[in-house]
Amino acid sequence: MKNEKNKGKRTLLIVWLILIAVLVSAIFAIGLPSGEKEETITEVMQDGVLHEENRVNLFGLIVNPAVISGFVVSGILLVTAALIRIFAIPRFTYVPGKFQTVLEKTVEFFDGLAHANSPHKPNFVGAYIFAAGTYVCFSTLFELLGLQVLTTKGTSAPLPAPLADINGAIAMGVTSYLFILGGGIVHNGVKGGLSVLKDFSLPISMSFRLFGALLSGLLVTELVYYYVSLSFVLPVVVGVLFTLLHAVIQTYVLCTLVSIFYGEAVEPPKPKEKKVKEKKIKHQKEIA
Amino acid sequence: MPLNIDFVQVLIHMLNFVILFGGLTLLLFKPITKFLNERKEYYENLEAETAQKVAEADRAKEEYERRLSAIKTDMAHLAQEQEQEMAATANAYLEKAQGKANQIIAEAEKTAKEHKAHILDSAQSDFSELVLEAAKKLIADTSTPERDRELYDEFIKATKEEN
Repeated sequence: MKNEKNKGKRTLLIVWLILIAVLVSAIFAIGLPSGEKEETITEVMQDGVLHEENRVNLFGLIVNPAVISGFVVSGILLVTAALIRIFAIPRFTYVPGKFQTVLEKTVEFFDGLAHANSPHKPNFVGAYIFAAGTYVCFSTLFELLGLQVLTTKGTSAPLPAPLADINGAIAMGVTSYLFILGGGIVHNGVKGGLSVLKDFSLPISMSFRLFGALLSGLLVTELVYYYVSLSFVLPVVVGVLFTLLHAVIQTYVLCTLVSIFYGEAVEPPKPKEKKVKEKKIKHQKEIA
Repeated sequence: MPLNIDFVQVLIHMLNFVILFGGLTLLLFKPITKFLNERKEYYENLEAETAQKVAEADRAKEEYERRLSAIKTDMAHLAQEQEQEMAATANAYLEKAQGKANQIIAEAEKTAKEHKAHILDSAQSDFSELVLEAAKKLIADTSTPERDRELYDEFIKATKEEN
């Protein structure tokens, strides 16, 4: 019985290896593509960074493909959220199933992060980092789908991660900064706002951190897919390293930073030491 | 703009994210956190109720143990009292019996003494009669040494037989 199983496995392995060998030899027999492409690798890389060539018409407005990516990701997320809200959440039980556990754990993660880094006002920042984290994570993973869009030139271009576009990254960084600033003003007044304004480099650092991290993945992926010879096995490693890990790491980094800065902005002002000291001295004198 | 930064596109991205933020907050974050808080509250209440019940049970146990201890003490007192009563009763019986025994012994000794005195009295009267009879015989017969000796022997012999 065991020998028969081993025999079957061996046969399957041999067939698989033969299939690979046949396909590789067929590729070489037909000949690898000559490399004559519409764009050179330099142009592809430059377009990956600047998005000057491949642009999309959005209701008469010429935009980068990343804008379309952003809308598609948001649309997918909102529809999924609505479906979960209608069909799953009303059926939640006190003893959760697998799907409920995943949802609960996700929300608990962001809520916990908010409580840990912003203990004074955790609720609103929890909701914000939940939305931001979900957007960053899923929009980064979105590029794995490789959806195509029609450019103004009439060619097709892959939809990139929205945050791999400098405009998308700036939007995320600035929105986060404005959110922190708003929190500071609402909870601590002008003083809170001024303390946030001191960190004026924050939106720039957040924007370019996101942009740099996601762009590096995009460029490496473009490079790998440009050459046919690099498109065996390597994309799997590249996909995992520059997409999955980036999605998780950038989500965590952005959410942690936002919650920490928000926590500092909304922290109630400490009583001045001078006054406390004076009070202590007065108290001691009274006792004496 | 350097790096092809387009503020219109930045604003579009921001608008997109703000819509997403509102949607995700209303559709997912709030309902799930609300559910989590409800569940937390439910289990906290349950825990509080359980703690209260445990405290009540502990109090009941303490009360039971206290009562049990009091009952045990009462029972021990009762047993001690009973033992003392029984011991006293037994002692009274023993004393009474001892008194009766002493009385019986005293009566027996008295009776024995009287009996002995009676026996001695009767023996003495017998002895007097014998002496009187012997004196009569002596007076009646002629008194010779042989006869005296004979009489004397007879007297001795009679006395021995008497005894």
